[in-house]
This record gives sequence, C-alpha cells and structure tokens, in this order.
Amino acid sequence: MQIKPIITYSGSFPLFRSLESQILNAIPLDTCEWRRTFQRPTKHVRLEAQTQQFSVEPLERYKRGEWSILEHPILHIFVTECNDIDTYKATIREEIDAWLKLLTSYGISDWMILLVETLDMRKTKNLLPRTTVLDKIRLDFGSKNDDRCISVLNPAKFEQKSTESFRCLVHRIRFLMLTSFNRNIAKYEELIRSKREKRNHDDWDFRQYFFMQEDLALIFEKLELPTEALIQYDELDAMFSQFITHTGFNEKQQWLAYFKRPLSAFHGICLSRVDKFEMRQKIRNEGVSLLEFRNYLFERQAYLLLTCNEIPEIAKRLLGFLFSTLREVEFIKLDCQEGALCCWEFVCALEVLQLCEQAMEPNEVTCFQHCAPIWNLAKDKLYELGKLCGLLPGCTPSSEQLHIVVQLSSGIGDAPPQQQFLQAMPQLRDRSPNRKPKLSAAQQLKEALGSNQTFQKLYLELAELAISTYKHVTRLRSARLVGLDLGKFYCALNEPHKAVGFFTDLLRELKAENWHMLSSQTLLELANCYRKMGDSLAYTKTCSSISCCAELETLVRTFYFDEFLKSLKTLKTTLSAQPSVENANYCVLEDHFRIVDIAVQNTKIIIQDDHLLVQLKVESLYPREIVAECIKLCYELHVTPEMDTALQDVSLVPAQHRECSSRLKVSLQLFHKQDNTLNCASVVCDTPKTKQPVRRTSSTKRKLSPSVQADFTNIVQVENMALQPGINLVELKGKATRVGRWQFKQVCLTMSSLEFLSEHLPFNVQPPSFEICTKPASASLEFKTLIAGIVQPINLHVAGGSFIFPADAKITLRCSKNLRIRQALEPSAPDSNTDANFENVLQVPLLQFKSFEERRIPLEVLTDMPGRKMAKHHEHHVTLSCPWSRNDLQIPIEFQPAMEATCRLHTCGTQKFLQVIMKGLDARLLLQHAKVKCDVPGVRLLDLNPESQDPIEIYKSLTVTYLYEIQVEPLKAEHELPIVKVHFVVKYATLSEPHIWRNYGCAFDLVEYSTLFKLQAQLEPNELCRLRTVCNLNLKITKINENPYVDLMYEVLNDQNLWAVCGRSADMGVVSMKDVDCHSISLDVMPLSTGFLPMPSIRLSKYTAGGKNKADAHSRVHPFPPGQVYNSTKSMQIHVIASVSGDQ
Amino acid sequence: MAFCIAVIGKDNAPLYLATSDLERELDLQYHVHAALDVVEEKCLVGKGAPESKELYLGLLFSTENHKIYGFVTNSRVKFIVVIDSSNIALRENEVRAIFRNLHMLYTDAVCNPFYIPGEQLSSKKFDRAVQKLMSGNA
Repeated sequence: MQIKPIITYSGSFPLFRSLESQILNAIPLDTCEWRRTFQRPTKHVRLEAQTQQFSVEPLERYKRGEWSILEHPILHIFVTECNDIDTYKATIREEIDAWLKLLTSYGISDWMILLVETLDMRKTKNLLPRTTVLDKIRLDFGSKNDDRCISVLNPAKFEQKSTESFRCLVHRIRFLMLTSFNRNIAKYEELIRSKREKRNHDDWDFRQYFFMQEDLALIFEKLELPTEALIQYDELDAMFSQFITHTGFNEKQQWLAYFKRPLSAFHGICLSRVDKFEMRQKIRNEGVSLLEFRNYLFERQAYLLLTCNEIPEIAKRLLGFLFSTLREVEFIKLDCQEGALCCWEFVCALEVLQLCEQAMEPNEVTCFQHCAPIWNLAKDKLYELGKLCGLLPGCTPSSEQLHIVVQLSSGIGDAPPQQQFLQAMPQLRDRSPNRKPKLSAAQQLKEALGSNQTFQKLYLELAELAISTYKHVTRLRSARLVGLDLGKFYCALNEPHKAVGFFTDLLRELKAENWHMLSSQTLLELANCYRKMGDSLAYTKTCSSISCCAELETLVRTFYFDEFLKSLKTLKTTLSAQPSVENANYCVLEDHFRIVDIAVQNTKIIIQDDHLLVQLKVESLYPREIVAECIKLCYELHVTPEMDTALQDVSLVPAQHRECSSRLKVSLQLFHKQDNTLNCASVVCDTPKTKQPVRRTSSTKRKLSPSVQADFTNIVQVENMALQPGINLVELKGKATRVGRWQFKQVCLTMSSLEFLSEHLPFNVQPPSFEICTKPASASLEFKTLIAGIVQPINLHVAGGSFIFPADAKITLRCSKNLRIRQALEPSAPDSNTDANFENVLQVPLLQFKSFEERRIPLEVLTDMPGRKMAKHHEHHVTLSCPWSRNDLQIPIEFQPAMEATCRLHTCGTQKFLQVIMKGLDARLLLQHAKVKCDVPGVRLLDLNPESQDPIEIYKSLTVTYLYEIQVEPLKAEHELPIVKVHFVVKYATLSEPHIWRNYGCAFDLVEYSTLFKLQAQLEPNELCRLRTVCNLNLKITKINENPYVDLMYEVLNDQNLWAVCGRSADMGVVSMKDVDCHSISLDVMPLSTGFLPMPSIRLSKYTAGGKNKADAHSRVHPFPPGQVYNSTKSMQIHVIASVSGDQ
Repeated sequence: MAFCIAVIGKDNAPLYLATSDLERELDLQYHVHAALDVVEEKCLVGKGAPESKELYLGLLFSTENHKIYGFVTNSRVKFIVVIDSSNIALRENEVRAIFRNLHMLYTDAVCNPFYIPGEQLSSKKFDRAVQKLMSGNA
C-alpha cells in the first residue's frame, strides 16, 4: 500500500508529464521546515508525493464530507508553457480562471500555477520584455498570494540554467504541500470529531470511522510523527473497548455483529510482518474476527512504539492488551475452542518477549520489569494448555486430548513470513552468529504441544526464565512465587530433590516476613518432598514445624505430630556425618517453642560453687505433650558493648557512666563569639562510626537458617521434661562455677538426636544478666579503750564472705604474755565470778556458720596490771588463726592502766616516812588491804594507816594515800643498804564485781634515805621584827651522819618582795664541814613586807671547788636528794610588824 | 467489589488480611505477598522527593482475573487491594476511595490504646468495616 500525498495537475498535460518524474524525485531529496499550527513544535519533514490528473471527483467527496485525508489531493498545479502575452490573454487566462473558480467552488485554496519558460535566447538578448506572462499571471490571479505563481526554466531545455529555478520550484511545492497539510489536517480532525459525535446513531459504523481515523494516523506516520499517530490508534483502541464493554449488549450497534465471527483461527500478534497493511485490506474487504482486529491494532501500536524506540512500552502494554481483549471476547460471547485463547496469549507473549530480548540490553531494568510478568504469564498459559492436552507430568494424552492438540495447532496457524525489519533497527543487539535462530512463538507452542517431553522442556525453560527475570529486576517475592509453581512441577515430575530448593527459598522469604499462613503451606509441600526423597532427618524437622503451625487445622497438625514422633524414633541411625545447614540435626527453637521469660530464682547473691536456679517460661507450640530429653540454657560472660570501651578512653566521662552501657556520650558544646558572648549552645552526641547508636529493629530481617551453637560450657539444665502445649514453667539447675557477670545466651532443647537451638532470647535490649561472685571472709576485733587489770569486753567480728564454712570451723586466738582471754559468760554462769577460765589461747567455734553471715562473738580479756609507777599504755596483741586463711592475723591491743601508784619519802629529823599515793585513772575501783613489805633485814616498816574494814573507792583524779614509817637499824648504815626495796600490795575490785579481789602490786626502791645534814635558821631579834629593819639570820648546819661531802654551798632563796638579803653576795656562800660537825652563818636580812612572812628558805648543795685540777676548772654545785638534808625550820613564819617611825 | 484487602506492616508482615473468596484465599495471599515487590520498587523510585510522594501507588500489577492496587502510608504500612478485573465499573477513582476509607479505618484501629503497633489487627470493628468496604457498601 502506497501512502503518498497526491498532487494534481491541469493545463498542459504533456509538459507536466515531461517534468513529473523530475519533480517527484526531487521532492524527497531534502527536508522542509514544517511550521505547525497551534504552536506545535516545528519539524523538518521529508515529503514524498504522487501525481494525478486533476479531476473533480475527489473534490466532490471533499465537499460532501466523505473524504479521506489519504486520498485527498494535497496540491493542485496548473501548468502552462505560454510565453506570449497575447496567447495568454487569448486562451490561457480563461483556462486558469475556470480552473481556479472550480477549485474555489469546492473551497480549496491549495493551488499553484507553474509557468514553464522556454527562454528564447535570441529574443531576449537585446531587449527586456516590458511585461512577462508571469507578471501578468501574478497580476491576474496572485493578487494576495503571488507565491503560488511560479515560473521555472524548462529543465529539459536549459539544463544548466534551470537548476536554480527548479530548486526553487521544488521547495515551493514542498512548502505549499505542508501548508495544505496544516489546513487539511485541521479540517480532517474536525470531520473525525463530528463523525465521532454521531457514534450512537443507528447507521454509524465503527469500521468506517476506524479507517477514517487510521488514515489520519497514517498521514502522521508519513509525516514522521509516530507519537501523534499512536494517539490516533490509542483513541481508536479505547473507543473500541468502550463500545464492547459498555454497549456490547445494545442492539443499536449493528456493526458489532461484524466482529462477532467465531474464533476459528487464533493467530497471535506478529511484530515483523512483511505487509503491514494486509490486515487493513482484510478488514476493509472481508471482515475479521475480534482477535484479528485487536491483533492488528496492537501490531500497529507496537510498530509505532518501535519507531519511537519505546520497546519497554510495548512490553508494558502487552498484559493490558491481552487481558482487555479476553474480557472483550467474554463480553461479546464469542465461541471459541477451549484453550484457543491460551494459545493466543502465549504466542503474543512470546512474540513480545522475543522482541525485547533481541532489542534490550540486560541493564535496561525497566523493560525487564515488564517482561518478568510476561514470562510468568507464558508459563502459566503453557501450563493450562498442558493440563488441557494431558501433557502434564504423569499424564498421557487421551485420543480426545490429541484431537484438541490438532485443533489448536491448526488454529495457532503458521507464523507469517517474517521481515527482518528489526535488523535495520539501530538498537538491535549484536548476537553471536552461533546462536541458533529462535523458532517463532507459534512454532514453539506447536512443538511443545506435540509431546510430553517438549512440553516439559519448554515449561521448565519458561519458568526458569521467569524466575531469573524476576530476580534480575529484584522482585524476589515474585520470583519465589514462580519457584513455588516450578517446585510443584518438579514434584509432579517426581524429582522432589529439585523442588526442595525452591520451596526452602520461598519458605525463607515468607518466614522472614512472618507470612505464617503461606509458610505453613510451604512446609506441607516440603514435608511431601522430603518424604518422597526419604530424607528422614529433614522430614522429621519439617513434621515438627508443621505440627507447630497454629494456622493449620488441628487434624493436620496432629497427623504430622504423630509422624514426627514416629520418625524421631528411627532417626538415630540416619544422622548425617557431615552436618550442613540443610541436614544438620538442629532446628530453630522459635518455630516450635516460644521463650516467654527467663528469671534467675536465686534470691540471694550467687556465690561461686553455689547452685544456680533459673526459671524458664516457655510456650510449647506442639498440639500435644512432648518430652524434651534435655533443656539447656547457656550463659556467657557479659560483654559490654563496644561503645563502652570507647567511652572508657575519654577521661572526662565520670566512672558511673562507664558502667551504663546503653548511655550515649552526649556532651555540651558552646560556641562563643569573638567578644566572648555566647553565640550558640548545642548538645552533641559523638558516636563511634563503627556502630550505629540507634537501629531499627524492624529493619533487620530475621535470620532463618539454624543458628550457630553457642558455647555450652556454662549451663543450667533439666532433663526429661514433659512440656504441655502452652505455657510451661521449667526449673533449670546448674552450678555456678566461675565468678563474673553472666548473660544468658541460648536455649538448647534436645529430643532424641534433634537439637532445637534458639535464635535470640526474647529481650528487647539484652538478655538478663546475673552475677556469680566471691567475697573474702574476714575477722576483726572490736573494742573501745581497754583498761588493764580488769575484765574487759571485746568483740570478735567474723564476716563470712563467700567462704563456705565446714561444720567444725573455729577461730583460734592466741594472746601475748600477760594477756588472757575467754568467751564472755552470762553473769549468771557459775564460772563467771572467777578468773580461772581465762586462757592464753582460746578457740572460738563457728557453729552453723553460713556464707555471707556476719557474727559478733563477745569475748573478755584480762591483762595483769604490772606494778609500774607511771601511767603508761600496755601493749599486747592477739593472733587469730582463721579457717579461710593459712596466715595468722596479728591484731595489736593497747591497755591503759586502771590506776597508778607513786611513792614519796618524807623526813622528820632522822625519822623517815614513806607515802604511797594511789591515783585513780579511768576505772572505778575499790581498794583494800594495802600492805608494804620489805624483806631487807634491819629495815622495818610501820603501818601508820588507820585500820579500816571498808574498801576505799577510787576513781578518776582521786588519790588515796598510805603512810608508813621506815625504821632502819642505825648500824645498818646507808652504805650497807644503798637500796631498800619496798613492795606495796593492794587488793582491788571493780564496782561491778565487788567480790572478786585482785592484787595490785608495786615495788619501790628507796635510796639515799638517811639524813646527812640538818639545817636550822633563826632570825634575831627573835620576838619582834619590824618592817625595813635589818635582822640577823643565823644559819646552822649540823652534820648528823658521817658523809663524804665536805664542801657545802648554801643559798638563801627568798622572795624578792618579802625579804632582802643585805650585803653583797651574802645570800650564798660555801662552808666547809671538814672536821667540824656544825657550822653557823649569820646573814643580815630585812623584811620588805608586814605580816607573817615565811622564813627565807635555805638550800644546801654539794660543792666541788674548781681549779684543783685541769680537768674541771669550774666549780660545780650538786643538789642533795630530798632525804639527805633536813631543814628543821622549813615553813616557819616570822611576824613582821610595821616600823614605828613615821617614815612610811 | 474487592476480592481481598490486606494491611501489611512496615516490616512486610501481614497485619490484617480479608478475602471475600475463601477458596482462593491462599492464591490471593500469594499475590498480595508478591505485590510487595512492586510496592518496594515504587517506594524506592519515590525516594528522591519524599514530601511530594503520593501515598497512592496505583496499579501494582494485574493478572487475568485480578487487579492489584497499592497504597503506602507515611509510616510505611502498606495497603493492598485486590479487585476483580472484570468489574469495569471500578475505576481508578473508586479504588482511591477504597484506599482513603481503608486508611481512615486503619488510623482509627491503631488509635486504640490497647493496640500495640506492629501486631496483628484483630479489632472486630475494623474487620466489620473492612468487610463492608470490600462488599462495596462502605
């Protein structure tokens, strides 16, 4: 079919004929700019044309409104050769006039007058003609449009010179054609619109309308506007659909009957027809079936899309086209053979797929997104056909079915001869030449319907292609769904091992997204496969899973539960040697049980080697009771998350923050301006990039493969536990062997040789943790200030820690010397009143001592009070031997004395007295039976104290004095007894226990106890001493006992305010007692004050004169000890009265 | 009117699924599940300008008997509606209306303080309303 715009010619026919071919050839040689109306984009168009002699008939049709743009002449040319004005005036003018009038009468303005000039060189050489014919024509006809009158040199005669003018002519023709198109298309569109308005009229025929609009589409296509052509087809498509679906039952549309012919043939579309318009002719002439018409429409659409290089769009439109056509067939209730439409769909699908495959690169995902469902459709249709024709695995076609095959095969028809137009397409992919040319879709289908083997081969191929295409465009779920079909097919083929992979893939996908109902169905398929394969391990596992599917009916579940128990018994021997994911003997625990809670039952701190009690709350999903041989729960050392370690590097973070692992490191940031004012403050969270602090739990897909077994060295477990359907409380026991902070990791449940391992424990943040700890035992003594000599309470404090005490544990206390200890007794105890049960070593039994117990054991200590004069601390220590330690523990203890005794020697002439002073310290004590003893012969001590039966109470800062006279026999001179030892003993008792008397002893050494010199002072005049009157002080030193001290120094030690010693350096002097027993010294003294004044005291000292040898050049003075000098006038007082003279 | 209405959580687990045809429920469920592929595809494309994203995803895919439409809320909860493809009275606008109603019903259902987001929608009221919507009397 030729589609070329028509140009008519009138006037000089022979002349035009001579030019015709030249013009027609020249028109397509160049493009012309097409300025379109309504601001549509300008376009460069390459035109073609055909010529016709001018006739009125098309014009008539045009006028009647029954024209087609395809057949309507687009340009009318009047040709003349007239060069002579006179001839023009005579004939030609009238001819043109008549022609133009005719055109105008039909409302046509697309004309052109062509003047072919045969320039006579000789004539024009000399004079330019005043007016030419062209000027005349322009004057007559082209008043407004002189561009429609054009002259050209006859190219036949002036080959060289005519080129320019001829080019102009062709260009003008092109231009005028396009102008005409602008006008005519607009007009034609109007015509179509008006026609469409009448679509509900009785005599309206869709076919007429179809051709009318299609003509426009063809013109658009011709004018290289495929998209606009496509719009026309799409409009037709939609209109047709609407007619069928909306008014299909309306009797008004008589033309519909035309498409209602039975579908005896059901050829698919063919995208590579040689004669594209074969069908158009058929539609026009004989009529076609709905399918054929639809096919034609789609083929045209596809062709236009192909020219636009929109192959994905073809694939995109295919399914819609197929489905809507099916619906239309249904609507108009066409008779067709069973399976015919399947064949048609299949062929159409494969045709488009082949086109896509040839034309598309694999990375053009959008195309394959549309292709994938088409593959799937082709697969499904083939399956339907296979079912119909008895070609499915395990079937053999009956004779009836064979008959169907024959009928279908004839209906499919042969593929029309193919034009390899695709090869001209630039986007065609280079195929390796070895690739064998594909059979046409129709041929493939026929072949597949031929035998079971070919059917299976094609089905498997299509299914694999569907899966791989879906995977290619990452539509995994759809791919798995195709896999389900394929798996079922393999099952039917009795090749369950091939099916298993598809089912497990699907199962994984469904389980990952919690589509329980679907996953349980898939499990049923899997169980079927495994049973056929004889894989008892996998079968057992699958049966177990099925029996736990709440979505399935109870009957199914219990059946598989029984199967599970049955095959579990036989399982032991069939365990695979090499466990892999598929054949490992472990299952995902969560599919069968649900762990609700894990709680540590130990109420107290868990000590090392203690029993760990854990309560596991687990929900069994089995339909009946099941016995688990062993339930184990393992725990691992609590690992602080990475972030925690990162935080520890930052020294600024306080310590308590480090303990809390979930806390983010958030810090304050302040930004200051240049003038130190605050610009902005913000809170910053610096997180280590390796770990996201916030993670969506929902975005992580659940792992489906059986988990890795955790380390089960530290476990709590229970054996042979019957689990009821629903919630069970299980007590797990274990021994806490290692110290640390622990975290529960995994539950493992064993049934026969199957192990159910948990994926994760059901806690949002982290599994509960517990601590196994150890704490050292300790022992210490508690006491306040201790006082020596009386019973003192002291506490032994034992903290058990995590030490586990044997029944006969005891602590041994060893005391240092003089310290004794006993356990505190009740006051009513018989032994409490004696000191007898104080021991140096004490064993304290720790009866029933439990770990972490703390016990306070009251003890009593008693230490001797050694007779020391000074109040000094007594230092002792107690050594503890504890059962938990090999080393002894020494604890120092200090005692303060309860009282102190001092003694003084007093002299009266030659009589000597001993004064013992008892000074009370911290304790309140009773004293009695004070005694002194002296074992030295010749020394006697006379007790001068009153006889008293009552004890004396002594307390802090109270002193008690005892007095004794010492009588030393005169013969026993001091040099014989330089030291006299005197023992002082007193009994004391505490106020609280007044009946227990203890001895306090103290030894005193008396030295230099005999009086050597006696000193006497006398003031004269004795009776009356007046103020500021010089008196005479007589000193008398008498030697009483023989002694080696010869030189003595005396000093007058007086108060400067009371007495004045007259005379220079008279207040001291040296006397020699050599060979004399007595020495008298007289001094002048003057009282300075009135009243009773103490006599100036005199001090006598030993004097060693210096200068006797070189060693000691200086004189030295040594004082006498108090017992050797007796001052008989000590503390004598002198009454001084005021002087009589009134000089005061 | 509609064959199947499904509400699917943001982790692609079904929260609610109702079909008018119990015999084909399994088949429909498989289709709904497979439709998630297209939902993901469309959501991925719309990733560039999330604020201008329309919740209604349009026709996800069609089979001979069904048309499957999708809708995704801002919280990534997906609604899938399967309708009979022979029902030509049901056009794009009607489908949009179904989704709009469904969205409102869903919002009401999850506003229940006793409903934990992410769990199955077991509200009877919601079920009744969806059944009504499915039969076309909403």
